[in-house]
Amino acid sequence: MTIENVLLVSAVLFAIGAYGVVSRSSLITVIMSLELMFNGVVIAAVAFSRFTPSAALLSGDPLTGEAIRSALTGHAFAIFIISVAAGEAALAFALVFAMYRAGESIEITDASEMKN
Amino acid sequence: MIEVSTLTTVAFWGASAMTLGFALIVVTQRDVFRAAIALAGSFLGVGILYFVLSAEFVGVVQILVYVGAISSLMAFAVMFIQDVTAGSRPVQGRLVGAAVAVLILAAVAFTALNTDWSTMDEISDQVAGALTEGYVQVGTGDEIRIEKVGFTDPDEVVVPNGGVLVDSTSAIGVLLVREYVLAFEIIGLLLVAALIGGLLLIRDPKPEPEVVTGSEKREAPV
Repeated sequence: MTIENVLLVSAVLFAIGAYGVVSRSSLITVIMSLELMFNGVVIAAVAFSRFTPSAALLSGDPLTGEAIRSALTGHAFAIFIISVAAGEAALAFALVFAMYRAGESIEITDASEMKN
Repeated sequence: MIEVSTLTTVAFWGASAMTLGFALIVVTQRDVFRAAIALAGSFLGVGILYFVLSAEFVGVVQILVYVGAISSLMAFAVMFIQDVTAGSRPVQGRLVGAAVAVLILAAVAFTALNTDWSTMDEISDQVAGALTEGYVQVGTGDEIRIEKVGFTDPDEVVVPNGGVLVDSTSAIGVLLVREYVLAFEIIGLLLVAALIGGLLLIRDPKPEPEVVTGSEKREAPV
């Protein structure tokens, strides 16, 4: 398990998600694929946090709390991305549900115009 | 040199196979409900990956938020909305989409494999030694630091340090409310905005006008 392996897994997950976004007909599946892309990005952030040393670590100074926290920046990024993805999923489903109740089709090709 | 055990390697490739296999099912399955179930499996695989990458707090958040909340949201959305017989067909032009996805993958993979990442495996023995042997992790949260072996203080929590931070959760907690406190507050605002926006969107656009009958008419105060 090296950083290249983890980044490759992350890239493959992102590419699978990208393919799903452009290739499926139902809006729900498109949103699912978007979530897959989010996950690919978060894996990359955590991998960088795990494998690359922070500047404070390389300086050779004693490891204080601040240096340890700077090594955990990728984890904080992951938490923020997950929060944004959760809000995005809720809003996306609210939009799809509103379209569905307005009697519109939720097929991508039918929904390319959002005016009533 | 940080040793990666065989068990870790097996767990990594197993979790990767689980994640990517379920992800492929998500983007190829016609039945949207089955796709939602496969999506939960893929999220669980990603959660295991975080544990393998010694990011246990992110792993727990992943399982709580994605496997728990977002997956059940997907399942509910499918049951509410989807016309099961129609399913999710591949659209025309998906070959172009596949080509674009492969191009993205090729670009990222080329960059990942051809960049010198200066990972922890390649840094000096002195720093690596500080992370793997002869050092312990002392304290929690704001007071967390690394000391040499032999550090004894009855008032402090001392944990042997096997190359990774054992107690990353308390350090992340301090990180969120100190270095990234502004982003933390904005995320809270964003979630409230998403909540209110979602409620507004799914609200009934034209509520039925209340029918006021004679018997229900309020008596005018005398």
